[in-house]
Amino acid sequence: MAAASSASYAGSLERLNLRGVARTWELLLLLTARDVKLRYEGTVLGLLWTLAKPLLQALVFSFALSTVLRIRVGSDAPYVLFLLAALFPWTWFQASIQSSAASFSNNAALLKKVYFPRFVLPLSAVTSQLLHFALSIPILVVLLVIAGYYPRPTWLLGLPLLTAIQLLMLAGAVLLVASFNVFLRDLEHLVEVLMTLWFYLTPILYPLSLVEERLGAVIYLNPMAPLIQAWRNLFLYDQLPGVEIWPALVFTALALLAGSITFKTLEGQFEVAL
Amino acid sequence: MRSPYSNQEVIILENVSKRYFLYPHRVMELKKAVLHLPTFVKATRARQAFWALRDVSLTVRRGESVGIIGPNGAGKSTLLRIVSGLAPLTKGRLTVRGRVSPLLELGAGFHPQMNGRDNAIINAVLLGLSRKEAQEKLPEIAEFSELGEFIDQPMRTYSSGMYVRLGFAVAVHVRPEILLVDEVLAVGDAEFQRKCFDHIEKLRRDKVTIVLVSHDLENVKHFCDRAILINHGVVAADGKPQEVVDEYLSSPSGFAVAPANRADS
Repeated sequence: MAAASSASYAGSLERLNLRGVARTWELLLLLTARDVKLRYEGTVLGLLWTLAKPLLQALVFSFALSTVLRIRVGSDAPYVLFLLAALFPWTWFQASIQSSAASFSNNAALLKKVYFPRFVLPLSAVTSQLLHFALSIPILVVLLVIAGYYPRPTWLLGLPLLTAIQLLMLAGAVLLVASFNVFLRDLEHLVEVLMTLWFYLTPILYPLSLVEERLGAVIYLNPMAPLIQAWRNLFLYDQLPGVEIWPALVFTALALLAGSITFKTLEGQFEVAL
Repeated sequence: MRSPYSNQEVIILENVSKRYFLYPHRVMELKKAVLHLPTFVKATRARQAFWALRDVSLTVRRGESVGIIGPNGAGKSTLLRIVSGLAPLTKGRLTVRGRVSPLLELGAGFHPQMNGRDNAIINAVLLGLSRKEAQEKLPEIAEFSELGEFIDQPMRTYSSGMYVRLGFAVAVHVRPEILLVDEVLAVGDAEFQRKCFDHIEKLRRDKVTIVLVSHDLENVKHFCDRAILINHGVVAADGKPQEVVDEYLSSPSGFAVAPANRADS
């Protein structure tokens, strides 16, 4: 039905003016802080879990793969470092998508009763996971230094660059997933399984070269493969990403486009579905 | 401004209609949708359109306090939800000028694990304050809510009364220019209710526009300088509270709730 309808809020529910942008930003920060604060609420170690979890995970993986299965990564770096350089950024990716999938559907009461820029809900999951990721970088640096790898100035360019790419990619992806999940709650469970699959499809536990010969160009269908590879090359070899990162850039653009269009289209139906 | 309305008119509804769909069955699970695609399509086709509001046009001027009355399912709450921006319109035009504070459900969005203070700040920012403003208002909010030391306790330790008190305190302290109140004042003990009404009275004197949905006709007569009677999604009467309330009470049959109308709340 092509019914004409419009709603305008002069100066109230600021949609595009500066005050509105500033408030949205503050809301994002507040929700991020809340998320971080609540994550390890009631635990003895608290925020230390942020560091302990990926480290313990890395120990488990390196025991399984390098001691039990004796995988050879063809890198001169110890396997743990090889692994962590990819596992930390991946954890940010995976945890963001998983924890934001239900961010609209779990906040039904709020969404139905107060109008605010709703996209901050899934985005705050991404930013709080980004914070955890940022906190894990010093751990990585310490371990690298112990092993004789020293960070170089290239990090100053590489870190913000790769962070920006992954942040934008996640922003699009979580908007897409969280919006659809309002109508199809199965998605949050499906996503969990798919992320495990994606984890194994991405060269995190193994080097890209291990699958490059067999799979060839197919690898480039996985945008996370070049991105994770770029993180690893930066952390271990101080290399900046080159043109081979293009699949990640294409995916980021597509995710942003699909995410914002989906959110815009479905937002109006939230009140009925929630 | 191309608008023919003056700035004194803060809420303008022009031919606003709101349609909801009623589905015979709720088919939203992936399994059902995939396995029974024909049923799914049929169910979607069999949906019934239900007009919660039909061609409603009205304007509210700055500083007015308007009571919305009418039987259950008449469209009163839908009207408030539309003005608050929560429900998109199906047809028509809506203009709202000023900061809206919806008192639709107090304390929506409070997180039980966080203390009252942090929750109050997030809630105030959700309702439109900046973080700095929220922090400045916090002492007033804490005092008004009478929570005492509980303000620093996680909200899961609160009684429902305390929950509501903090919710109300935040909602009225965000310097609303337009306050939308939906029956929420029926909560809390008598003394706190008294306090809420006193505060709303004060906001009214400060020229805050108030739209109040209530079944308490005495309250509407006492509080509002205008009443609007909504029935079956249309404006049935609009004018002096005493007259509108009388009309509502004197209408013998017409205001029975139509069965289909119950679904909108």
